[in-house]
Amino acid sequence: MKLSEAEKGKRYRICSLKFPPHMKRKLLELGLFPGQEIEIVQDAPFGGPVKIKVKDYCLALRRSEAENIEVEEKNGR
Amino acid sequence: MADKIIKVAVAGNPNTGKTTLINAIAGTNLHVGNWPGVTLEKKEARFKYRDYEIHLIDLPGTYSLSNDTAEEKIAVEFLIKEKPDVVIDVVDSTNLERNLYLTVQLLELEAPLVVALNMWDEAKSKGIDIDVEKLEKLLCIRAVPTSAVKEEGIKELLDAVIEIYERKEKPKCVLHFEDQVEEHIKGLIDKIKEVQPILLDLYPARYLALSLIEGNTSFIDLSLSEDIQKYVQNVRKEIEKLYHKDPVTFIVEERYSIIISIYEQVVKKHVVKSVDITFLLDKVFLHKLFGLPIFFLLMWILFEFTFELSSPYVDWLDETLSSFIAPLTAQLLSSLGASEWLQSFVSEGIIGGVGFVLVFVPVLFFLYVFMAFLEGSGYMARAAFLMDRFMSVLGLSGKSFIPMIIGFGCNVPAVYATRTLENPKEKILTVLMIPFMSCGARLTVYAFFVTIFFTQHKTAVIMSLYLLGIAVAVIIAFILQKTYFKSQSLPFILELPPYRLPTMRFILRNAWIKTRAFLYEAGTFILATSVVIWFLLHFPVGVKKTEDSVFGHISKAIAPVFEPLGFGNWQAAGALMSGFVAKEVVIATMGNIYAGEVIQETEEEKIDIKEKLVQMGTGFLQANVEAGKKLLSIFGIDLAGGEEEEEFEKTLLDTVKNAFTPLTAFSFLVFLLLYTPCMATVFAIKQELGSWKWAGISVVISFTSAWIVSFTVYHIGKIFF
Repeated sequence: MKLSEAEKGKRYRICSLKFPPHMKRKLLELGLFPGQEIEIVQDAPFGGPVKIKVKDYCLALRRSEAENIEVEEKNGR
Repeated sequence: MADKIIKVAVAGNPNTGKTTLINAIAGTNLHVGNWPGVTLEKKEARFKYRDYEIHLIDLPGTYSLSNDTAEEKIAVEFLIKEKPDVVIDVVDSTNLERNLYLTVQLLELEAPLVVALNMWDEAKSKGIDIDVEKLEKLLCIRAVPTSAVKEEGIKELLDAVIEIYERKEKPKCVLHFEDQVEEHIKGLIDKIKEVQPILLDLYPARYLALSLIEGNTSFIDLSLSEDIQKYVQNVRKEIEKLYHKDPVTFIVEERYSIIISIYEQVVKKHVVKSVDITFLLDKVFLHKLFGLPIFFLLMWILFEFTFELSSPYVDWLDETLSSFIAPLTAQLLSSLGASEWLQSFVSEGIIGGVGFVLVFVPVLFFLYVFMAFLEGSGYMARAAFLMDRFMSVLGLSGKSFIPMIIGFGCNVPAVYATRTLENPKEKILTVLMIPFMSCGARLTVYAFFVTIFFTQHKTAVIMSLYLLGIAVAVIIAFILQKTYFKSQSLPFILELPPYRLPTMRFILRNAWIKTRAFLYEAGTFILATSVVIWFLLHFPVGVKKTEDSVFGHISKAIAPVFEPLGFGNWQAAGALMSGFVAKEVVIATMGNIYAGEVIQETEEEKIDIKEKLVQMGTGFLQANVEAGKKLLSIFGIDLAGGEEEEEFEKTLLDTVKNAFTPLTAFSFLVFLLLYTPCMATVFAIKQELGSWKWAGISVVISFTSAWIVSFTVYHIGKIFF
């Protein structure tokens, strides 16, 4: 599923990133690589960005970008 | 013996407390400017420590060294070409894992590194234990725990810098990727050695090899030999085949796997029972319903804070200059037997010009104080988060919103407030939009005209002008977006750092360093412009009427340009010309011109220095009291009396009434709103964007749009009225 469809508060694992190369690198370097665990914490009003948690820190991503991130729900725990 | 000079570059991720640390190290030695040709802030400092002279250069905050953004390009270029003696890598100890990514890349660049484990105290209180010795051993670098806020570890950090500097040869321990990849890297380096060895003289070998594999070659000035290109293609294919990943993903993951293994050996986390304040605060500040109202409330406070609190100080400076310093100088000059002409030049031309510069100082200082607080507390990122949806329509990000709001107070600090925008394109676009935000000075002119022509619809007319300004800004942004800036934009990825309480010391120091930069640089330009205008008004020597001065002649020459807009008289042209100095002088100039009288005569009055000095002192105290009262009134406690009504001269009102019709008056106001921003704004644009080019473009854009819109307004208006 897409990250933009993910539910708030649940944990997900990144499967793949569908971005043009330089955008993809930015995300990878920030720690958003496949296998990484992420969580949607909050979303902005009027379809604005979403706040996600990766590693020890929080990032904001636009919805249009969250649509290009494939995730799967983390099972168990 | 001459001191040894150590060139130190400071690198680090954004939000690691880099600025605070640099402030703590360099004190107010810091000088702010821009990187040559780029719109990014550059801080530099020179100071003595022990027997060394340390030159500190702040590299732009980056998450990596991949050459994608302007920040990264500057950092890479500086490290490769300038070869600093030591690089301080500021990392956030509470977020070590991601921060180490930059560290690993710095090692690939063979930079002589000292890692500042900043926010050490915060990490401790969060139960994060970092084994510094082990980290040093694993990375073959020096690491020093620091707390920039508490100014701890600064001495140790500088000692480590000197130690690295004196050690000369670099310790080399290579962080190894998977064996097969390492072989490819080695193979590639050997190939370069064989075919194009000059590359290895210019660039660090491992960084070069990895960059080639990643396809990041923009920093290489030479054209690569075909042999090498082929070799690289081969390696890339091999990696794809072996790992089923594209080389970029693969290499980033390799770096991270090294980092994770180091991280796990070095960091131990204890569970500390504490409330996550950031999480709780974000529940409120980023709330779906309340987030935006809170944001607007804060913006309103920022606005009030900047313009209301600074106004008593502005008035005080103004008063001191115009009723004390200027007449005193004139008196002094006349006692020395100087001509009236020279007296007027010094007291009006020069001191008047200095006055224009000084007027901005309190405004800028208060703005910088509040901005430093928003920035340091972590709220700025939240503001961007909340406004991003709206600004993205214009191809901007949420961060552009704050400077634009400030523009309604005054365009000058607004331009300087774009300093928080990291993306150069976004910054340029925002700066170009700011002059269309109708500032406070323009309001004084509107007020004058509406009392004459639009008594029935005062608010509606003023409101329409504000909205028109916004509309034109949006249209301009849209056009530029579709033409000049159309290249692919970077993704909007914004770190939301934890909330922190910035120290008063940090805020004041930061604000002062930036205000001082304005004083130094803008001073000369504004002064020069005001001198030029003075000359235009007073030449030829002995001129009695404005009409006969050079200024008058120029006004007459350009007046026809405004004919199609409905106000082709030279008086209006002259007023607009003086409006370039500052919009609020438009009325005063009109007074001069329409009255057709001798240009302002300073009153002959004996100045009692002692009495004036006392007045100056009490005036300053009063300004403080005023500011205090205003501070209270911002928070709802009203002590100040009602606003005084502005009074205009009767004769001026009458002459203006005869010179304009309501329609031409409105057309004039529209032009005044949109045309060339004042000289201080023009200079601010030059300073912020680092070149006259953009200042010129801004002038052209605003003048053209002013003409077109006024023309349209006038001719559509003619149909109806």
